[in-house]
Order: sequence, then structure tokens, then C-alpha cells
Amino acid sequence: MKRDKKITQFAKKLVALSKDENGVVTEAKVGEVLDGLKQVSHRHELATLKSFLIYLRREVALQTAVVSTPGALSDEALKQIEANFSKVYGRPISAQTKEDASLIAGVRIRVGDDVYDASVAGRLERLAENVH
Amino acid sequence: MFAPVVADTLCEPGYRRTYFISLMKAHLYFLLLLLVLPFGLGAAESTDALTEAGAQGGVVSELAGQFKVTWPTLIAQIVNFCVVAGVLYFFAIKPVAATLDQRQQKIADGLQYAEEMKTQLAEAERERAEKVREAAVEAQKILTEAREQSKEMIEQKTQEAAAQAESIIRKASEATELERQKMLSDVRKEVARLVVSTSSKVLSRDLSDDEKSTFSESAAKELASAES
Repeated sequence: MKRDKKITQFAKKLVALSKDENGVVTEAKVGEVLDGLKQVSHRHELATLKSFLIYLRREVALQTAVVSTPGALSDEALKQIEANFSKVYGRPISAQTKEDASLIAGVRIRVGDDVYDASVAGRLERLAENVH
Repeated sequence: MFAPVVADTLCEPGYRRTYFISLMKAHLYFLLLLLVLPFGLGAAESTDALTEAGAQGGVVSELAGQFKVTWPTLIAQIVNFCVVAGVLYFFAIKPVAATLDQRQQKIADGLQYAEEMKTQLAEAERERAEKVREAAVEAQKILTEAREQSKEMIEQKTQEAAAQAESIIRKASEATELERQKMLSDVRKEVARLVVSTSSKVLSRDLSDDEKSTFSESAAKELASAES
């Protein structure tokens, strides 16, 4: 129990070290952290790496807005989304598009556990729920 | 007024038995007298004859001589008379009289016992009648109470049955209403599902790529502006 807590705290520190000066997790920073881990020997290396991966994915998810849409979106719209969501959450958020034909039309944006739905399929689902 | 009382007393069975026993005793004494009378008369006549013969020395002494009455015979007859009278009295009259007295006493006791029994019977009859009357009153009271209780119970049961029936009707109505609501909800849900499904298919088929792109751009701008 105490060991897990220490590993968790160490993984969180590694995630903090993986951010650049803007608070964004970058590939270069993550590479530097991994290089540093290779140089020092650690008793619970595998558990530490697993925890680091989990927290790193969580941090990336919090800094990524997954924009689902049936077609392609313009760069201007994506930049507006990034700017506005970065302002709302107070941290840099990058947009990542994902094609989803089941939405019919519109977009669905997911930031971490928050979902913003402006798709036709979502509106129809909400309409059906309201009719119930 | 006294005569009817005496007549009634004489006509009573107990008095008749007492009178009969007394009559029997009188008959016995009379019979004893008849038995000893010849001895007495003979002795008296012998004595008188002897006395008169002694005094006059005439016909009586002649007759006494003819009947061979002598002083020793006379004294013997007197003694015999006394002995017979005593024997009859002690061995016949007295036991019979004692038996009669005992019988009379038994009869009197029986009569008294019968009277007491009669009195007790009358008392018992009176008590029985009183008990029967009290029992009848008690039974009537119990019957009245039972009727009142049964009436109250019937009324209570009727009210309970009415309340229960009302509750059952209300529950049935509520169940029916719930069932109806559920059916309506199911119908709405099914209709909504069909509408959504149909709309999705229609929109997917009829919207062009340009229209979808335009709608997506508009939706993205809407989300961006809404959050800012």
C-alpha cells in the first residue's frame, strides 16, 4: 500500500516533468524522462512505468479535444475550438479530429470526461429522451 | 268456624293413623277386661256368698256348698286372677302397647319428616323458580348483549369490508392507471425510437456532403462560441 502510494507520487512527478514551459506534454520531454529513467536503476521499474503511462494518458486526454465529425472540419474551426476550450479549461488543449459517420452531421467534442455534443444524431437522441 | 277446623284435622291422614292406634289400644284393654272379668265376677260372687253365708248362714252358704266354693279356692282364684292379669299386662298388653307407641312415634316422625320434606320441597321449588327466573333474566340479558355485539360486529365488518373494497378498487384503479401510463410511455418510447431511426436514415441518405460539412462547421462554431 505504501509502496503503491510512493510509485503513484513518483509517476505524477514524472508526468509533471514531461510538460514543457507551457504545461503541454510533449514527445521530447517524455523522451527525456524515459532516458533519465533508463540511466538510474529503480527497484520497481515496471510498476513505475505502468503508473507513468496511466497518468501520462490521462494528462494527454485532458489536454486533447477529440472532435468527432462525419466529414472533415476546416482548420479555422479546429483552431477556434482549441482557443476556446483552452480558455475554458485554463490549460492548453489541442484538437484532434476523428471521423464518425454515425453522427450524420455536426460535431461531438470530448475533453477528458466532458462531452459536448452538437451532432444531428445526438440531437435526435435527446429528442427521443425528451419524448419519453 | 271451629267445626270445619276440627273436621279438617280429623280428615288428615296422620290424625287418622293416631286415632286408629288409640282405638286398637282401647280394644286391647277391653279384651283384657273381658278375659279377667269372669274371674273377678266369680271371686266377687264367692266373696259375697261367703260373707252373706257367714252373716246369714242361709241360702248363700247352701249355694256355696252346692258349688263347692271354699275359702282356699276363692283365694286361689284371686291369686290366679292377679297372676293372669299381671302376665297379660307384662307380656301382652305392655309389648303391644310399646310396639304401638313405637309405631305411632315412627309414624309421627315420618309425618314430621314428610312435612319437613314438603317444606323443603316447597322451598326448593321456590328457589328453583327463582333460579329459573334469574336464569331467564340473565339469558335475556346475555341475548340482548349478544345481539348488540353481533350488530356492532356486523356493522364493523361491513365498514371494514367497504373500506377493503374501496382500497381494492383504488389499488386496481392505480394499477390500471400505472399500466396505462406504462403503455403510453412504451408507445411514446417506441414512436420516438421509430422517429429517430427513420429521421437518422432519412437524414443520412438525403443530406449531401456539402450540407453535412456546412452543418458541422456551424455546429463547431456554435460549440466554440457557447463555451467562450
